[in-house]
Amino acid sequence: MTDPDPMDGATDDAPPAADRQPLDLGGSVAESAAPDFRAARRHVLLELLRLAADLRSDGVDVPPSGPLTAARALASVGLADKPRVEAALRASLLSSPEGIDAFADAFPTFWHRLRTGLDAIATDDGGASPDDDASSDGSAPDDPGTLPDAQVPASGDDTGGGETEVLIPTERRYASGDRATEDSETGDARRYSAVGGRERVEVPAGGLRDEETAAIDRFVDALATLPGRRHRDAPAGDRVDARRALRASLGTGGAPIDLPRTEPTPSELRCCLLLDVSGSVLDTIDRAVLLDVAARLTDRARQSRVFLFDTDLVDATTAFARADGDPAATLRDAEFEWGGGTKIGAAVDAVRRQHPAAVDRRTVVVVISDGLDVGDEDLLADAVTWLADRAGALVWLNPLAVSPAFEPKTRGMATALPYVDALFGFARPADLAEAARQIERRGLGGPIGYEHDPRRQRAEAGGEGE
Amino acid sequence: MTGDDSPFESVSESDLRERFERADYVADDRTVTTVQLALDLGRPLLVEGPPGSGKTELGKVLAAAFDTELIRLQCYEGLTAENALYEWNYTKQLLAVQADEGTVTEEDGGSNTRRESVFDQDYLLERPLLRALRADGEHPPVLLVDEIDRADEAFEAFLLELLSDFQVSIPEFGTISADHPPIVVLTSNRTRALSDALKRRCLYLHVEPPSFETEYEIVRRKVPELDAAVAAEVCAVVDRLREESFLKRPGVAETLDWARAVAALRHDDADSLSADEIERTIGCLLKEAEDVDRLDATLLEDLRAAAAAADDRLEAEPT
Repeated sequence: MTDPDPMDGATDDAPPAADRQPLDLGGSVAESAAPDFRAARRHVLLELLRLAADLRSDGVDVPPSGPLTAARALASVGLADKPRVEAALRASLLSSPEGIDAFADAFPTFWHRLRTGLDAIATDDGGASPDDDASSDGSAPDDPGTLPDAQVPASGDDTGGGETEVLIPTERRYASGDRATEDSETGDARRYSAVGGRERVEVPAGGLRDEETAAIDRFVDALATLPGRRHRDAPAGDRVDARRALRASLGTGGAPIDLPRTEPTPSELRCCLLLDVSGSVLDTIDRAVLLDVAARLTDRARQSRVFLFDTDLVDATTAFARADGDPAATLRDAEFEWGGGTKIGAAVDAVRRQHPAAVDRRTVVVVISDGLDVGDEDLLADAVTWLADRAGALVWLNPLAVSPAFEPKTRGMATALPYVDALFGFARPADLAEAARQIERRGLGGPIGYEHDPRRQRAEAGGEGE
Repeated sequence: MTGDDSPFESVSESDLRERFERADYVADDRTVTTVQLALDLGRPLLVEGPPGSGKTELGKVLAAAFDTELIRLQCYEGLTAENALYEWNYTKQLLAVQADEGTVTEEDGGSNTRRESVFDQDYLLERPLLRALRADGEHPPVLLVDEIDRADEAFEAFLLELLSDFQVSIPEFGTISADHPPIVVLTSNRTRALSDALKRRCLYLHVEPPSFETEYEIVRRKVPELDAAVAAEVCAVVDRLREESFLKRPGVAETLDWARAVAALRHDDADSLSADEIERTIGCLLKEAEDVDRLDATLLEDLRAAAAAADDRLEAEPT
């Protein structure tokens, strides 16, 4: 199930909503002799839908009926007072604090477009037809003099299709699918070789912000496989719901015939984390973030095993268990090395031979790797098949898959993909929230993965338009 | 969707502000507008924010401001429809059936003695939600569903019918709908994500920690016994504390606790807060052992400096 296209769903519904009460178009419109209310209303609704679409493309979870509520709210508060409009839209379009920053970014642009468009309509003497005006409002005349309090959007008349960026913004530095170019030839050789030069783990302590932690927690909750303490109704459950059974027995004169049953809701995670720490991954993703995410993930799961691999596999479970918020320091003290070549097949095979108990049918295996494998292809296929058979689920997080241009065509990724339950892009903790959202919506067996990421789809749509 | 004769449609923003004012609730413009919208559109209001930021208080104040009944439903894990909505008075039903005064079947055949069904008003125990729907008064009641995130998801789903149509179906009895939809305020501490279906039906208000000036205003109103200059210092110290990345950042409730503690400890001297004083009473503000451990000499000195600079800060701001 995907959201209905916001444009279609809401344009059908929104006009009647606004019909109920005439929009208060603010001072400038009210003063003019015969304002074109139809065009004004159309303009407001279009801008509203555009704002909702922009927020969605920024990863904000705007409910499908959000624009509808927002239209009603605007009809109630009017369009003249900026703080009130902002409060009204915030209340109707947002439903979690994660979206507040994106909203704060998007609102000035919305307000500027809205007011310039309305002023243009109000001062329009009937030269252009309303439809022309509304459909070309992206290039509506920008008259700074009429709007002292509105900010001119930095992107100018760009209507948003091309705004989606290909680079992956992280708070600490920009990472992208492209290699850094400043490295010398030896550096490149090291990254792509199978044996590679390894180095000690040496990373400044990172620390996660609250919303990043929340994203990771949500991801863990979405993957939960172990029974928790809550119970839910299930016809074949193992526990009788005494309360409901008693209530049902009332209908049969006190004889408990029908015994409703419950089963525990899965709310805890047992996970096995396979962390690719080869040179190629370390160059694409912020190392501190990688370690912090792994630490938080293992901390949040009820049971977890962590393995680091490049050409060799090391069990880092105890190191992460002792990390206490600073995994980088713990790994450094334990003299872990990383940054070699990538042999995913050999690594998984080592798990199979040395730590077979780490994976069972209730374990979710989370692999963080870019899939640039230089090892034996058959070994990889064998190993991943074993992993997929044995584990409850196999989730692959690929740092390269956040790029809209990503296709799983590298040898390693193409080999592993058929056995993977879900392949998500992962470059910053916020990407986990998107992964969690998809898993919550559609389940691990459903149509989930990087290709269903709305940001990617939007970038593709924008790319075709250009 | 909204009752057309709802008495709240006419509530203007200034009127609402005045009512908040009278109830000693310091609300920023965004809160006032959002609450007014919720009244206007007849939508439930979902309030989220860190613990101690005045979410529950908002519901109470709304009830006080409109001089109406506050019906509070505290959610907890395992809360079921029977606890929240209605329950049949089984004992009474059983006695009625045994005494041959009532029957469990609709029709009673050709018997002449008139016996009433035991699924009747008299046997119905109203729980908070049903009470909110059936309440009659000049103003509809305020229904405060507190900490909805603590309830099971099943209960959340159960709330959906109630929140969208303000009606509930009782299988044996029929559908009960509200004449005047109650004002619904839901609060959540975000211990788990709420379902999209629930969020979509609500207007959303995220309560953030107040600014220094707002907090000063709140402390002055709620703790009038505290000297004005000291109140400013209290707020400045809390403001500084919130910049630290504590496990549990102090909320407004903690500030008020602390302000009361400070007022109780120092009787009438108006010296500024000393580092020693802050350290001794820090238990009012920090509720995690690790947070308290982080309070070292440097941080204490920072806090004292913030307290000393409080007066200047207050004067710099036009009030």
